[in-house]
Amino acid sequence: FYVRASYQEGKLETRVSLLQSAVDEYNKAKNEFAAKATEEEIRLLRFQRRVEEEKGERVLGCSLHDTLHCLLTLGLHKQAEQLYKDFRVPDKRYWWLKLTALAEKEDWEELEKF
Amino acid sequence: MAAHLSYGRVNLNILREAARKDLREFLDKCAGSKAIVWDEYLTGPFGLIAQYSLLKEHEVEKMFTLKGGRLPAAEVKNIIFFVRPRLELMDIIAENVISEDKMRSPRDFHILFVPRRSLLCEQRLKERGVLGSFINVDEYILDLIPYDGDLLSMESEGAFRECYLENDQTSLYHTAKGLMTLQALYGTIPQIFGKGECARHVANMMLRMKREFAGCQTQVLPVFDTLLLLDRNVDLLTPLATQLTYEGLIDEIYGINNGYVKLPPEKFAQKKQGEGEKDLPTEPKKLQLNSAEELYAEIRDKNFNAVGAALSKKAKIISAAFEERHNAKTVGEIKQFVSQLPHMQAARTSLANHTSIAELIKDITSRQKIPPPLHPGLYLTLLHFSIIVVLCCISCVPPYVSASEAFFDNLTVEQEFMTGVDTDKVNTYIEDCIAQKDPLIKILRLVCMQSVCNNGLKQKVLDYYKREILQTYGYEHILTLNNLEKTGLLKLQTSTRNNYPTIRKTLKLWMEDANEQNPNDISYVYSGYAPLSVRLTQLLARPGWRSIEEVLKMLPGPHFEERQQLPAGLHKKRQQGENRTTLVFFLGGVTYAEIAALRFLSQMEDGGTEYVIATTKLINGTTWIKSLMDRLEEPPF
Repeated sequence: FYVRASYQEGKLETRVSLLQSAVDEYNKAKNEFAAKATEEEIRLLRFQRRVEEEKGERVLGCSLHDTLHCLLTLGLHKQAEQLYKDFRVPDKRYWWLKLTALAEKEDWEELEKF
Repeated sequence: MAAHLSYGRVNLNILREAARKDLREFLDKCAGSKAIVWDEYLTGPFGLIAQYSLLKEHEVEKMFTLKGGRLPAAEVKNIIFFVRPRLELMDIIAENVISEDKMRSPRDFHILFVPRRSLLCEQRLKERGVLGSFINVDEYILDLIPYDGDLLSMESEGAFRECYLENDQTSLYHTAKGLMTLQALYGTIPQIFGKGECARHVANMMLRMKREFAGCQTQVLPVFDTLLLLDRNVDLLTPLATQLTYEGLIDEIYGINNGYVKLPPEKFAQKKQGEGEKDLPTEPKKLQLNSAEELYAEIRDKNFNAVGAALSKKAKIISAAFEERHNAKTVGEIKQFVSQLPHMQAARTSLANHTSIAELIKDITSRQKIPPPLHPGLYLTLLHFSIIVVLCCISCVPPYVSASEAFFDNLTVEQEFMTGVDTDKVNTYIEDCIAQKDPLIKILRLVCMQSVCNNGLKQKVLDYYKREILQTYGYEHILTLNNLEKTGLLKLQTSTRNNYPTIRKTLKLWMEDANEQNPNDISYVYSGYAPLSVRLTQLLARPGWRSIEEVLKMLPGPHFEERQQLPAGLHKKRQQGENRTTLVFFLGGVTYAEIAALRFLSQMEDGGTEYVIATTKLINGTTWIKSLMDRLEEPPF
């Protein structure tokens, strides 16, 4: 089972390729949902890698939700906004997220704007 | 010591004694002083069979837990490993033995497999080159462990997962074996009923084993009249719901393990004068819970809302009893009073303990305020206004809602699902919980519950939930979701017809007027919902399953009836007014609330049947879902 194997891989590139095989398998098994979810995970991993390279923050391997949370507390609103659009996060959940993150940071100004 | 086991209708102490005898025989086989190395998982169940004192009588001097590397030093002749037949444990043992051989004078090694020896494990030991070091390789058959006067459990954690997810029938074999042991001690059970695939398998195995032993009939008068085998997947809904009996809530909140519960110590701190706040105990308080404790036996199965009243009544009785001393005039009377003192003191301690526990639970469950129902659209607009308000109240840390409110909201949603309100749409409460990243298991419980009550979810709804969960909690949970789908807890609605309402109506699973204080129906254990499994049991006794044939067909798996021939002369002649005894076996786990409901049925005056409960594992929704989860360890990048 490729998904399990992918988690034993420490290196990003090998993990992505294993997940890619998982996508193929899911497609063969006609499990559309799982195939799509796996593709999204690959995209997320790539995105996290980019952020790490650019900002030097460790977000790799987090869930989408945690990544967003992390970005928002760091004040990286542009990246967060982009993720939110790319992955079609439901509005309601995004708001909750933004709220908690900003409140934790006690960034009242940004809250007012929003 | 184990008096609570013999109170019930069936004396389960016989079973315990038989288990102890086997253990003693094995220990005596290894002459001389001994040290036992325990597979940690086994210590709990073993504690219910034999205390340390028994082991000590048989020259057991040291006990260790099994772990890699070298064994701790001990001057003993024999070293005995008590283990489950698991390959990974064999590797540890091999490591132990090899390092031991290098270090010290030779000693005798023994190994005891619980509950069965396995060829695979012995093979593994051979590969590691240590099998020859063992003088005794034996098995200790411990299938059904007596927990209480009317409760047996196999405590095999993975039973549900193995049967329904991995199609592994080992635990069913153990079940059948366990039932055979039981029949050897308590006589052949004449009637067997069952519902579900696994039940069918167990019954088949039992009948086959019986044929194999055809020569040696047990000459014991049957104690049980009926055996009912129930698959857990016949009733998936009940364990998902939050239990509302006293014992059930203790289990939901703190978890009961092998009859013990660990509680936060603050409430139990002994208040002594002159002592500062500093000396509060930090170790969790460990309490044993079973019917040996008079008070606990009385309140364990009550709905939590009725516990307070019972406790205060008890408090009055005890203080009245203490007041008696003023009335004692003659020496004889005083002597009598003093003789009762230990008993009264014990009663007072137990009362204090349970009052503390009840307080702890109350903190979490009490209905401080009932939130008004919010329209989803309105909710969003309100959200903006309430943000400012909320933010003023909280400094920065979630959770925003107090524990008791969360508990109550959760319950409301559960009850909506069970009564069939809006089960086909995405539930806003679940959405909110995901958004706030509440514990994953709570979410899974709710989503599964909605799926079960709706006979599967629509593609759109199901995919939405799954996507939300993966995005919030991480992609790795895709395997867990897959497992839930495989076991039928989460499924896609295939036919347009939802048969849950039919089942609910025919079996009267929802009672509007559940009476929590003085219950008249089993639905009190969930404040309205009558557990499906127990309802089936109740209907089997009266008027019989023939009347609900239609509904039985809707539930998964076959239903069947078998008879076992009794040797001539052992047919029991029933006296007038004597109750029948039924053994109900839950394959895949049972909850405390279900047990409470069955005890309630036993006590009903016109019930005519008493129940003894057996199961593969005592569960609640949380432990159950956990057993189905796949955890992936992530390596650091």
